[in-house]
Amino acid sequence: MHKIVLSALLALSFSTSLSHAQSAWTGGDDLPTNPLACDATPATAEAKPYDGGQPTNPPDRKGKTLTVVDVPKLVGIGYFNATSKGIADAAKEMGTMNAKTDGPSKANIDDQITLIDNYITSGVDGILFAANDPVAISPVLKKALAAGINVVGYDANSEPDARQWFVNQAEFNGIAKAMVDSMASEIGEEGSFAIVTSTFTTPNQARWISEMAAYQAKCHPKMKWLETVEAQEDNILSFNQSNTLINKYGDELKGIFGMTSVATPAAADAVTQAKKCGSVAVVGLATPNAMKPYVSAGCVKSVVLWNPVDLGYAAAYVLRAAADGTLAPGATSVKAGKLGDLSVINGSEILLGAPFVFTKDNINDFDF
Amino acid sequence: MAMSGVDLPPVRPQTSLQRPGFLRRLMADYGQELIVLLAIVVLFVAVTAVNPRFISANNLTSIFSGNAYIAVAAIGMAMVIITGNIDVSIGALIGVLATISGTLAVAGYPIWVAWFFPVLVGMAINGLIGILVAYFRIPSIVVTLGALSILRGGLISVTGGTWISDLPPAFLIAQQKWLGLPVPLVAMIVLTVLAALWMRYSAFGRSLYAVGGNPEAAVATGIPIERRIVAVFILNGFFAGLATILFATQLQVIQSTVPPNLELTIIMAAVIGGVSILGGSGTVIGSTLAAILFATIGSALIFVNVSAYWLRAVIGLLILATVLADMLRRRRTV
Repeated sequence: MHKIVLSALLALSFSTSLSHAQSAWTGGDDLPTNPLACDATPATAEAKPYDGGQPTNPPDRKGKTLTVVDVPKLVGIGYFNATSKGIADAAKEMGTMNAKTDGPSKANIDDQITLIDNYITSGVDGILFAANDPVAISPVLKKALAAGINVVGYDANSEPDARQWFVNQAEFNGIAKAMVDSMASEIGEEGSFAIVTSTFTTPNQARWISEMAAYQAKCHPKMKWLETVEAQEDNILSFNQSNTLINKYGDELKGIFGMTSVATPAAADAVTQAKKCGSVAVVGLATPNAMKPYVSAGCVKSVVLWNPVDLGYAAAYVLRAAADGTLAPGATSVKAGKLGDLSVINGSEILLGAPFVFTKDNINDFDF
Repeated sequence: MAMSGVDLPPVRPQTSLQRPGFLRRLMADYGQELIVLLAIVVLFVAVTAVNPRFISANNLTSIFSGNAYIAVAAIGMAMVIITGNIDVSIGALIGVLATISGTLAVAGYPIWVAWFFPVLVGMAINGLIGILVAYFRIPSIVVTLGALSILRGGLISVTGGTWISDLPPAFLIAQQKWLGLPVPLVAMIVLTVLAALWMRYSAFGRSLYAVGGNPEAAVATGIPIERRIVAVFILNGFFAGLATILFATQLQVIQSTVPPNLELTIIMAAVIGGVSILGGSGTVIGSTLAAILFATIGSALIFVNVSAYWLRAVIGLLILATVLADMLRRRRTV
């Protein structure tokens, strides 16, 4: 029995290490980047034909009550609680959607695939998802489309043809600009900074890091990127990694970027406990509640994010419009309740809007 | 070892035999612990040579106190493994206990209640696990896998994943100091030393080795195996509870989810520290040293600019080497 346990442990530690050993250690990906203008000029949208998938022979769902399941990356973290709330808000507002959230308890792609598969079997009208892995999730989503189910993604995408639409919370270059501009205004144009991310291969984080590198090179060329460390989605590990960065670089380190809602508060705590508030800035992606102690204490000035409640809300409206047929391939915008008209980008994506920077003045207006 | 015999006069052959004998005994009793200790020392020397800041007081504090909760939890885990069992639910248990602790603290209960009530809960849950293992003869891996799912799922269902903030400053004991040393460091050392002495010199402690190493002989000498197994799980819950106090009070917020792979880290600390995965041997000094070794490797990789993914590869290799050495030792002695 113990030998089995042991081999499992070994296999686990080896598989997770070796599969990632080749990735770039800075935590970015190899995809092309598209940094925004250094001033506030909006990006010019490039027209692209619809590249999403379509459900096979869906029943006529126009105006009918939809049974919808929302499968986030994982349940039990503030962020996906907020998207889930947005979906519930929208469903309540429409009155024609029964939505429930059911996701894996760890951000595990295998668990997520199993869950979606079960819901295809049990029969639903629509699936909302945030993918743990863009490639691995695609076959099961295609199976859902083939079963006539409407499929819409949000937060983390699949392959385009595995879903009808994807609600993009913010373009990567938009977030990157907000992050780097905030950091530059806090530590100056010649400051040195490091990054704490989840893992080097987490798709969103890797994309943001690449875009941040490109934007920094273009608009803040004298800032110095020291290194990126990974800390899973583990707050004590994020805290330890941030401490190590502070200890390693000493006074050279002027800022830390937190790339996840777990890493950012932990980095802020490390800076607080090292009594470096004011001399080491923390700028990051995080949910407001976890950041309130640090923002209130003045240790953190900028928390960059979009509004995840709006993201879930928009995803529910997009699914409704897709099921009704009012959002069809070739459309350039979609009505999303109180959010108004959202524009279609990149063929089959809906852009939520510009990122949101939480500060001491507005953070207490949010509760997620 | 070799030089001790050379300098001694031939008229006292006794002494020249005794000295290597002592060393050999030390190697036999604490071989793995010494290897781990040596690895820590070598790492410190090598990395400090590259970047002297590695050995700064701040970094030592980060290494020792930021990971002390793993060492404390590994004490209980070492005891469980020594009796020939295992507990894969400990990470989930710590997550659950941390949430209970933080909830009590925020709700205004006295700080000591918020610290120690979860310890009792941990002991109760593990007592139940122990009873299922000892009296119902269900393998511990099965029982604790079940407990893992129940605890992890239950935690998310109950909390909905809301983070706990607004913790009272007095609650955050892991950020405080005793006699100029961080509390987690003091707790780790004191608990390790007490547990090690107890394991080595008390009749109860000794009997745990018999339960794991040679159950037939244990029965023959009148050791109540079932009661020992229940007791060792209760102890495991006790140490998990103490680890939780350090874990939950490290930051100003508590993440109400189970830290990924925490149980693996704790089990690995016990195994690399020399606790035989087959039961019957090992010490808690070894598990604590191994926890320190992991923390040192993690910090060192950043200091020498090596990807953290190597940490897992290195630890995987260490496990393999440790277990192979253990198997070989056993084959030789049997």
